[in-house]
Amino acid sequence: MVALTQALLNGLVLGLIYVAIAVGLTIVFGTLRLVNFAHGAFYAIGAYIGLVVAQQWGLGPALVAAPVAVALFAVVLDRILLRPFYNKDATSQILVTFGIALIVEETLRLIFGSTTLQYPPLPALATSFAAGPIVYPAYRLLFALGVIVMLVLVWLFMEKTDYGLIVRAGVRDRTMVQLLGGNVKAASTIVFALGAAIAGLAGAAASPIYSIAPGTGFAFLVPSFVVVVVGGLGSFWGAVLGGLLIGELQSITTLVFPPAANVVIYLCMAVVLLLRPQGLLGESEVIRQ
Amino acid sequence: MNPSTGSGQAAGVRFALLTAIGLALFPFAFHAIDGYGGLATQILIMSIASIGFNLLLGYTGLLSYGHAMFYGGGGYVAALLLIRLMPQHPNLWLAVLGATLAATVLALLVGALAVRLYGIYFALLTLAFAQMIFFVVEQSQDWTNGDDGLQNFPAALLPLGPYSIDLGTPLPALPLGAFGNLSDIKLWYVFAALVLFGVMVGVRALTRSQFGEVLTAIRENEERSALIGFNAPAYRLAAFAISGALTGLAGALRALYDGSVPIDAVGIDRSGSFVIYTIVGGVQTLLGPVIGTGLIMYLESVLSARIDYWRLVEGVVFVAVVVFLPAGIVGTVTKTVQERTQKSRALLTESLRARSGGAQAGPERLSK
Repeated sequence: MVALTQALLNGLVLGLIYVAIAVGLTIVFGTLRLVNFAHGAFYAIGAYIGLVVAQQWGLGPALVAAPVAVALFAVVLDRILLRPFYNKDATSQILVTFGIALIVEETLRLIFGSTTLQYPPLPALATSFAAGPIVYPAYRLLFALGVIVMLVLVWLFMEKTDYGLIVRAGVRDRTMVQLLGGNVKAASTIVFALGAAIAGLAGAAASPIYSIAPGTGFAFLVPSFVVVVVGGLGSFWGAVLGGLLIGELQSITTLVFPPAANVVIYLCMAVVLLLRPQGLLGESEVIRQ
Repeated sequence: MNPSTGSGQAAGVRFALLTAIGLALFPFAFHAIDGYGGLATQILIMSIASIGFNLLLGYTGLLSYGHAMFYGGGGYVAALLLIRLMPQHPNLWLAVLGATLAATVLALLVGALAVRLYGIYFALLTLAFAQMIFFVVEQSQDWTNGDDGLQNFPAALLPLGPYSIDLGTPLPALPLGAFGNLSDIKLWYVFAALVLFGVMVGVRALTRSQFGEVLTAIRENEERSALIGFNAPAYRLAAFAISGALTGLAGALRALYDGSVPIDAVGIDRSGSFVIYTIVGGVQTLLGPVIGTGLIMYLESVLSARIDYWRLVEGVVFVAVVVFLPAGIVGTVTKTVQERTQKSRALLTESLRARSGGAQAGPERLSK
């Protein structure tokens, strides 16, 4: 029972990391129709920046610096490279963003080396939360809470602010929104930067839990694509549902039959793609991309 | 206008001849720029996989992000056939054929499910299957040796009539100055060159056949091709199977040549490498994947010895090609040359017309 509860909690934390990466992937796809294989790179950059800042000034500043820096990077990337690819086919988008992911990964390797880095032992990380026989690191619970708060904020931004409105309307009819005076370009930059910032923040916040290596970005990106596909490409709540589902599935399989833990999530994705390609909560119009 | 059958055949013969000459001269020219025979052999083998990959991406318009499952699958099956079934009499034909067959079956199974999807969904489904295969291989310790991969399997001999050929035998010694020595080349290179030659001629014929034309038609406009009466999924499945078979063949050859199969052979980076090779060289061209494979593998070999960030260079080259030369190196060169000839042809026609004062001087007269 204790083992199961801990597995469920682990699954929740893992799932929420996936959600944090997948939310950016999915809003960028849903609003800009951009398939971004470089999204994992935002996570990795956030993790490294977070680590460097945390070593100097502590965890708090790290959680501010990482998303800001990653968002700036994303804006530059968007302006310089990605804009022309917005209206191209998915294949071209995959190619260019895959290339960017490669460049980022290798740049990180050049700067920080190939070795896996660990977080400095901070007192905040050592505390545990105990409820009866169940003991669980407090930081992980705090992390889960943080991601949930962030998700609510993102949802509010997309649903309740003018920017969110312009972006959602711009997806339907770009020309019309521009004619009405909405700045679709600025709004899409903001969406892109927002998605990146969330991934960067997740990287910085999650690296005390999971170690950091140059390949970390891609290693998290691939399951995050599983999450997005299972939930439905472009769907916010799909990413949330998919992330929790995949996180728990992976964690529980690890408990029951460890060798299958990684296979099972891809099996899950394959089944969803074949039976319901638009994903659990996706709209059916996007299948023929 | 299409060339007549006669000149089409002539072009085919010319293509075969030029390919044969290119393959025969390649290792020696390669030596002059610091390449070596072993790398030349590996480039030829990997080119087979890239050609297979391009058959899908270039001619069918489907980006697979999981071709490592066929490549690595071919490698593991070849190695396992040698280790488990013929440790006493390791037969290269049987190992390669068995592995290619296995890759074809795998491609048919995955393809039957995948060809119903497009774009990102197709890429992700192939990725999902490749990841499943990767983790199954990694976990099947007893068979695959897990993360360590398979090594030390019996060196396969190539039975040919009454002979049993060891492909590790070098050619006779013959100094060639700056181009090295004939004995730098092992029989393996000759064998790989023959296979690649066959694959290139075969794929060229395939893409120019009705099958190839239908594939292109489906890629450009599936609904229209379906309305004409072509069964698009069946054509795509056939292309997927051939693509998987060629990639599996390459994986088997590489395993037998290297004498080892690393776990990376089924990994995601391997799938990505076929994407890079093909795009850099030129998608939708026959020669592109070969040139791209050669260039990137050569850069890797030369640069990784000198600098430790060669993969960064690779990434920059790849992105530069995607952004500035979407047709790839070969595609861009071909296009430029074609435009030039057309332009000069037009100029020539005009001047001839002006001289003869009439309109009789057509391109037909000029082509001879």
